[in-house]
Amino acid sequence: MIVGESRTKHSLWVLFFLLPASAGLILFTVLPIVSSFILSLFSWDLLGIPEFVLLENFKRLSGDQKFWKSLVHTLSFVGGYIPAVLVTGLLTALLMNSKIKGRGAFRTAFFIPVVTSWIAVALLWTWLFNPKFGLINYILALVGINGPAWLYDPKWAMTAVIITSVWKDTGYVMMLFLAGLQDIPASLLEAASIDGASGIKRFTAVTLPLLSPTTFFILVISLINSFQVFDQVWVMTGGGPSGATSVLVEQIYKNAFRYNNMGYASAISLILFLIILIITVLQSRVQKLWVHYV
Amino acid sequence: MFKKISLYILMTLAALSMIIPLLWMVSTSLKNNQLVFQMPPRMIPEDPTLDSYHKLFDLFPMMRMLMNSILVSIVITGGQIATSLMAAYAFARMSFKGKDAVFLVFLATMMVPFQVTIIPLFVLMRSFGWLNSYPGLTVPLLHTAFGVFLLRQALMTIPHELEESAFMDGANHWQVFSRIIAPLTKASVATLLVLSFMASWNSFLWPLIVTRSDDMMTLPVGLSVLRGRYETKWNMVMAGGVISIIPIVVVFLFSQKHFIQGISRSGIKN
Amino acid sequence: MKKFTVVWILFLCITALLSAKGQQGKEVSSESQKTEITYFTFSAAPDHLDHLQEMISAFTQMNKDTEINVETAGWDDYFNKLQVNIAGGIAPDVFELNYENFVTYASKGTLYDMSSLAASDSSFSEDVFYPRSYNAFQYKGVQYGLPETFSTVVLYYNKDLFDAAGLDYPEESWTWDDAIAAAKKIRDPENDVWGLYTGIQFWEFYKKIAQNGGSVYDQNGNVVIDSRENVEALQTMLDIQNKHGIMPTDAELAGVSDGDLFVSGKLGMLVSGIWMFSAFGEAEFDWDIEVEPGMSTKATHFFANALAMSSKTESPEASWEWVKFFTSSDESAQMRIRTGWELPTIQNQDAVAAYLTAGSPANRQAVFNSLKYSIVPPVIEKQNELQDGIGQYLSEAKYGSMTAEEALKMCRELLEDLK
Repeated sequence: MIVGESRTKHSLWVLFFLLPASAGLILFTVLPIVSSFILSLFSWDLLGIPEFVLLENFKRLSGDQKFWKSLVHTLSFVGGYIPAVLVTGLLTALLMNSKIKGRGAFRTAFFIPVVTSWIAVALLWTWLFNPKFGLINYILALVGINGPAWLYDPKWAMTAVIITSVWKDTGYVMMLFLAGLQDIPASLLEAASIDGASGIKRFTAVTLPLLSPTTFFILVISLINSFQVFDQVWVMTGGGPSGATSVLVEQIYKNAFRYNNMGYASAISLILFLIILIITVLQSRVQKLWVHYV
Repeated sequence: MFKKISLYILMTLAALSMIIPLLWMVSTSLKNNQLVFQMPPRMIPEDPTLDSYHKLFDLFPMMRMLMNSILVSIVITGGQIATSLMAAYAFARMSFKGKDAVFLVFLATMMVPFQVTIIPLFVLMRSFGWLNSYPGLTVPLLHTAFGVFLLRQALMTIPHELEESAFMDGANHWQVFSRIIAPLTKASVATLLVLSFMASWNSFLWPLIVTRSDDMMTLPVGLSVLRGRYETKWNMVMAGGVISIIPIVVVFLFSQKHFIQGISRSGIKN
Repeated sequence: MKKFTVVWILFLCITALLSAKGQQGKEVSSESQKTEITYFTFSAAPDHLDHLQEMISAFTQMNKDTEINVETAGWDDYFNKLQVNIAGGIAPDVFELNYENFVTYASKGTLYDMSSLAASDSSFSEDVFYPRSYNAFQYKGVQYGLPETFSTVVLYYNKDLFDAAGLDYPEESWTWDDAIAAAKKIRDPENDVWGLYTGIQFWEFYKKIAQNGGSVYDQNGNVVIDSRENVEALQTMLDIQNKHGIMPTDAELAGVSDGDLFVSGKLGMLVSGIWMFSAFGEAEFDWDIEVEPGMSTKATHFFANALAMSSKTESPEASWEWVKFFTSSDESAQMRIRTGWELPTIQNQDAVAAYLTAGSPANRQAVFNSLKYSIVPPVIEKQNELQDGIGQYLSEAKYGSMTAEEALKMCRELLEDLK
């Protein structure tokens, strides 16, 4: 608060800065979300009139094998994807932030998969993972490994989806890390190097802590997004083979639009929402231990 | 020296693997339909042809769809940057009651899949009379919790001394925001610019639902018609894909320029 | 802030209720006094958009007071959009439905009663249509759609591969035993040539159990999907892939579609729809079609589409005229046959005659011969759940994680649930 500023005036300023984003958020995002949560208490086929069923949808949920399986698959996606994409994203960002020749070109190259549509990416990787002609199994064979059938093997399909997702999103995470690196005042890094800190020490003692707000941001965002993984699964496997990559949002989508169970889809998304919310709240509690703001 | 060279080789290989899908899209768009799915795949088409591009422009009001996409994406991106930057300022540089709770509400809106909120939103648009219109395509998307979060993080890293002296000199919040804080976040704003533009440029489900006539359709929606029940025109799909990547790459390169500027400026300021 | 939110939630609920009741905006433009109707379609995309425009201009020439606004969507997105539009209370006046989804829409009261329209229209006679396809679009005795097109599923075969193996070409009387025997001779692992492809999925399954005298439901509507005949039929399907090794697994196909495998000359026989004619036109070998083989009896499948009208339409007369024109007029039939845009389901022999000689394959008569044995899939209100669920268990059996018997037992449980 500015010294001498009245309470009301300060509140008005806060409102002034918050209003543009909040107005749209409340009207066009919060309201529809609340409506969909209310719908989770209804049975609605989209074509007729909603019917109030109280907790019927949630009861059904507890006994729905497809739901539980898709929850497990979603968790395994998150568990495999998040650490991998954070590491690859940070490494590339550090490389791109160092003084190397042609880094603009490299940056653009790494950003290309981000802008390429999932349809094209999926087709290409389906070929790379092709058990017969694919490059991946060819390379594995060179080192004496008999590669799996990947997308056609229920045990390996999710791994293939994770690898593809990490490959596609590395550029995205790189960009976010880069923005964070750029925002670190150069003076701080210079001060550290004048003090004679070596490369690795400077990284762990100065860069990493200064980057922690960015890392926190990326972690939260990636978790929120990866719990809602859908596009890549939909185009690469359609949830198969024999349901091995079926994820929560796929169940939501199918129930909402294919099976005309809008209420049930809303119930699943409420559960998904709660899971993500709890994890996010936990994260922001824990962040105080490792995130350093200036 | 050896380390440096091997690093370059590694990075070049990685970068190449990143561009392959794009090259492959281009190559597919130059094939005729029968050759699209050869096995093993062919990177270089036997008889390259621009047929699919010609057909796209014959079959679809491509210019109109491109204009719609550009217009919609620019409005959304501009709106998102403005609203996010302001909200981020409030969250990062001001203190007020219930800040954490309000911020959590912002975050929470990202946690519900769009698939289940689309019908309430559709009903809302209908009651506004905004179906099949530019307001319907843009107004619901002028805010982004993601952007608020991104910029809040960036604003939080700025040292407090900067604005304190300005407040001493009698500046108000708007002056501090627009003259001191906002210019310092160029790199993050540039990032948001690219990501917002990309998201709205590629967005599919909402424009599909909210538009009805050809003259309102955005590029991805118009081109989705190429995926038929029994057959998909892959070469045309890819031609459309190539066309629709160009604007994003342009925006990316444009933002990169500012990226570098952002660095040098913050260097001088410090 | 709280009050504001409460007010908005109330407002939203009210609008939702209002829209569930549905109210279509008036679409009569005051200037020209023309009636505007909206026609929503998936079947024109992606190949026949211009043909659709031609048909519309032919129609508006004769019906100068009507204007048709076309809305198109790809197959994958069509039903999402249709449902949201109906849920939001602005259904298109006329739209396409495939046979399988028809009951879902008819049972919810979203479709316009065409029986009364047909009865009061002296220019209309249901006799123009094949009775079987006309009757397919009735629900509880009321006509809710006019059949638009059909596409039969037939047996494609590669003549060159048959010649090379010294085999006689398939005949209408073939059983799967004949086909499997031939496929074994054609199979050539060294050159990656496969004998036969007939997918292990819902559409093939419901047909093959019928060929073996089985069914999903019995006449009284009881679930009999795990009957002995059905297990036997499914086992035959699985054996083609797993025991005889004449059909590639998904992993062996590795992303190549069955149609692409056939057109590359590496497949002896393929069960697929007649929409592949034009794609196979480019094949560098001789091929033809025949009625699909059977087991103890014959059964074939056809995909059918119909035109339906929204129960909320404000312009039923104009919509009806368009539906009639599009499904049964000679103009539209001729256009369809000329452009290869599926087949009209009308009985007019002249139109059919043109089709028979319209190019490869030579044995186009098999398309119509197949109709003699045609059956329709089981259709329930929760159709997509039935299809996806059965498909899921079939793929479990295909991947070997369940036996045929176990898979069908699971299907039985699913279908009991869906009742």
